[in-house]
Amino acid sequence: MIRFENVSKVYPNGVVGLDGVDLEIGQGEFVAIIGLSGAGKSTLLRSINKMHDITAGSLTVNGCDVHTLRGKGLRKFRRGIGMIFQSFNLVTRTTVIQNVLTARVPELPLWRVVLGAFPKCDKLLALESLEQVGILDKAYIRADQLSGGQQQRVALARTLAQKPQIILADEPVAALDPVTARQVMEDFVKINREMGITILLNIHHVELALTYASRIIGIRAGKIVYDGPSGEVDQGVLDSIYGGNVPAEAEG
Amino acid sequence: MGLYDKVFPPRAMKLASGAVVEEKRSRAPLILLLLVLACALSVKVTGFRFATLVSRGKEFFVILRQMFPPNMGYLPKIWKPLWDTIKMSLLGSFAGSVLAVPFAILAASNMISSKVVVQLARLFLSLVRTLPTLVSALIATYIFGLGTMAGTFAIGVFTFAYVGKQLFEQIETVDMGPFEAMEAMGAGKTRAFLSAVLPQVLPAYLSVCLFCLEGNVRYASILGYVGAGGLGLILNEKIGWREYDSVGMILLVLFGAVLVIELVSHAIRKRLT
Repeated sequence: MIRFENVSKVYPNGVVGLDGVDLEIGQGEFVAIIGLSGAGKSTLLRSINKMHDITAGSLTVNGCDVHTLRGKGLRKFRRGIGMIFQSFNLVTRTTVIQNVLTARVPELPLWRVVLGAFPKCDKLLALESLEQVGILDKAYIRADQLSGGQQQRVALARTLAQKPQIILADEPVAALDPVTARQVMEDFVKINREMGITILLNIHHVELALTYASRIIGIRAGKIVYDGPSGEVDQGVLDSIYGGNVPAEAEG
Repeated sequence: MGLYDKVFPPRAMKLASGAVVEEKRSRAPLILLLLVLACALSVKVTGFRFATLVSRGKEFFVILRQMFPPNMGYLPKIWKPLWDTIKMSLLGSFAGSVLAVPFAILAASNMISSKVVVQLARLFLSLVRTLPTLVSALIATYIFGLGTMAGTFAIGVFTFAYVGKQLFEQIETVDMGPFEAMEAMGAGKTRAFLSAVLPQVLPAYLSVCLFCLEGNVRYASILGYVGAGGLGLILNEKIGWREYDSVGMILLVLFGAVLVIELVSHAIRKRLT
């Protein structure tokens, strides 16, 4: 359960990222956050694992007050939350399995990390994660040899190897072509349904959001302007999110 | 609009549609002029005379001729100093390269958030870098006594400063995405560095270390001049005695050793990148 209560975020330069956000997301939901660039989608997502800190209000994840977390406690908390990025954020010069294994690094003693000596159980976990996203055959290939869609799947496998309860995805398909984007969205749906992992993603493609997510959160200038089932999103809702001037382009 | 643009006004490019784009004049002629002036000034300051080069230049070949044929009989006495030279450069390069890593991390602004620490680490690296190897070798002979220990120390100091600077610049240009991902997964900075940054900089780091080793073999050969052991010791001695045929032999052996090390290092570095 993720709960925002009157959460605000003002950046040091005075830009308002979030403005009095109230929100509740239950375990196992599939939520898409839509809105214009700079509306606060990324801020909202990144405040959940404290990659961005909030400046006012209260934000709890499974009863844990995120704002007060620091050091060891924060790192332990983050292990339960996966994160997917627009640019995949893989170490491209190493192999796919090495990338997936980095998910185990926070748990391992330092000497194992230095030597890259991962226990067999971790290797099996990494391979199983790759199997779940359908790219087991690429395990020992360098990450930069893969296509964008495959690289995002490696990132997904890395997140799964973390065994998270929540996955935050920041524009996961923005760098992918339309066909690959759909495949990756279907991966998210599968993970959501089969493992009951909460999925929270930022997305510019309204059509993809409406197709795959069960709940839509519309955000505009740091405020939530729509929060409801994706089936109830109509032109009026989109107008309120995008300011009435970006219907077709926003789906680009 | 700068002064240069006022003296040499930009050229107006007019398109068929009537739109006008201004193209600034090239700065290259001005820079070239400054370079020529600087060269002329340096000739005047250093008292370089081309005539001297022509009239005395042939003396160089006189010495060179005396080096041939090299004194083969001297060869057996060269092996030990040569081995000392190689040992000094290997050990010094290794120690310097390893020690450079923590300082390079401290000097990388994308790893350390404190600007004070970053600037201090950089200042330290530049200070050490300005210290000529011969000077640090000389100082080291006062501390560790004459011999290869002083040479190893001097080589280590130079390698430390050189590799340190190259490495922190490498670290600053890495893709920070994987590092961000590691932090989001709950890794601390050390683990995030080891898993996300190290694989990106490792090939370049090893390459710089090997490149440094190549140069160090040459450096190490002159350190004997200040008593720090190695080939320089006998080189200095034989030049002093004007036994140019023995000098020729030393240089020939050094040339061979440097060539072998450079070939090996080059072959490895090619595979690294």
